[in-house]
Amino acid sequence: MSLRRSPLFVSGLMALGLALSGCAAPGPTAAGGEAFNDPLEDTNRAIFDVNQVIDRNVLLPAAKTYRTVLIPPMRQAFHDFMQNLNAPVVFANDVLQGQFGLAANTLGRVLINTSMGMGGMFDFATQFGIPYHPNDLGITLATWGIDEGPYLVLPVLGPSNPRDLVGQIGDGFADPGDQVASAYHRIWASMARALVSGIDERSRNIESLADIERTSLDYYATIRSLYRQRRAAQIRHEEENLPNPAPVQSSLGTSPAMSYSVATAPRLHQVSTK
Amino acid sequence: MTRRFQVIGALIVLTGLLAAAPAGAQDAQAFVAQLGNQAIQVLGPSVSPAQRVARFRQLFRDDFDVPGLGQFVLGRYWRTATPEEQQEFLRLFQEYIVQAYAARLGEYGGEPFRVTGSRPSGDETVVSSLIERANAGRVQVDWYLINRGGAPKITDVYVGGVSMKVTQRDEFSSVIQRNGGRVDALLAQLRQRLAAAR
Repeated sequence: MSLRRSPLFVSGLMALGLALSGCAAPGPTAAGGEAFNDPLEDTNRAIFDVNQVIDRNVLLPAAKTYRTVLIPPMRQAFHDFMQNLNAPVVFANDVLQGQFGLAANTLGRVLINTSMGMGGMFDFATQFGIPYHPNDLGITLATWGIDEGPYLVLPVLGPSNPRDLVGQIGDGFADPGDQVASAYHRIWASMARALVSGIDERSRNIESLADIERTSLDYYATIRSLYRQRRAAQIRHEEENLPNPAPVQSSLGTSPAMSYSVATAPRLHQVSTK
Repeated sequence: MTRRFQVIGALIVLTGLLAAAPAGAQDAQAFVAQLGNQAIQVLGPSVSPAQRVARFRQLFRDDFDVPGLGQFVLGRYWRTATPEEQQEFLRLFQEYIVQAYAARLGEYGGEPFRVTGSRPSGDETVVSSLIERANAGRVQVDWYLINRGGAPKITDVYVGGVSMKVTQRDEFSSVIQRNGGRVDALLAQLRQRLAAAR
């Protein structure tokens, strides 16, 4: 992640991204008919395999250690801190997309969590009914009508596409935390931050990814499908615009019989465990 | 005279249908809420893996539109497959889904979910629900239901905006494509996978 501060690396990636989006704009329909828009599939699969090796030998052990060494409240504090540090980028993209309600949420979250939450270590905003939502420049570019382009697997960073790659680089440049760190020649701070968020993210997906890998016939194809669909859902901003989670029964016309059955669910569960 | 009776009869039938429509949505919501209770029993942390598979198999056969799903996930290859291949695929696919998703859903630990509403989508009803996970935040799960002979059947489940049947179709299509468009290559892989699971 910290590599994105190196101008040479960045311009190289940008050139690559632009070249790819240019040459493969109309996704060639493969012989099978299902258009996966993955013209670089062989290269992507090779990088995917290398990433798997890196994951098994470096990232996964680090994530497991992280989980063993730190008790859950400490991990949660790190996670919340990282999320709060990322808020300026989320806020900027909320505004760029004209999602002013979401922007207000992000602003409110920063104010609450930075003050009451002691610099972002505690996420009180979620408890007050303002849950976190992710946002990034890749989503902004998508809402501006820019096509995702062909599927890409990046070394170490994993699934992407030219649009999301450009977005990641742009977000990296815009991040105030990274800018402060680089202005004071504290690049190690940016590096540590990228490292901890990577390990934190991985530690939250140990079981789910292992289950998907174990049960898949074609893990690469499954991840490609999941990545694309997940990004599409984030671009639609469905989850963020859900009705307020707090009052459910009254406002949404849930029938009394149903609230009863849902409310009794935990008790049923207790019975079944005995 | 008979004509007038026909009109009245049609009106009565129509009012009946209109009255039945919201009841259908209610039924769909109640069905999903009920399914939530079943899921807690199927996926609870105390359930052994073998029990989980057995219960999930029952739930899948009873509540999912298995033939429709099978046809969808084979994509365009459904039409190129021979009737024998189609039959064998339906049989293998069912067991594969049961094995794979009993494991994949295990991480949810049977956390209770809340039904938040429903909306029509074509000839289907979409029931939305929210699952609150202890440390991973909430995730929206949408259930797509179709009426099959009076009983609601699940045609798809969206988790966090990701369609389970699209994911499965993309994977199966990839396997077939990479084996020169041969459906029997997918069947062989499924057979092999299920034999290993036993």
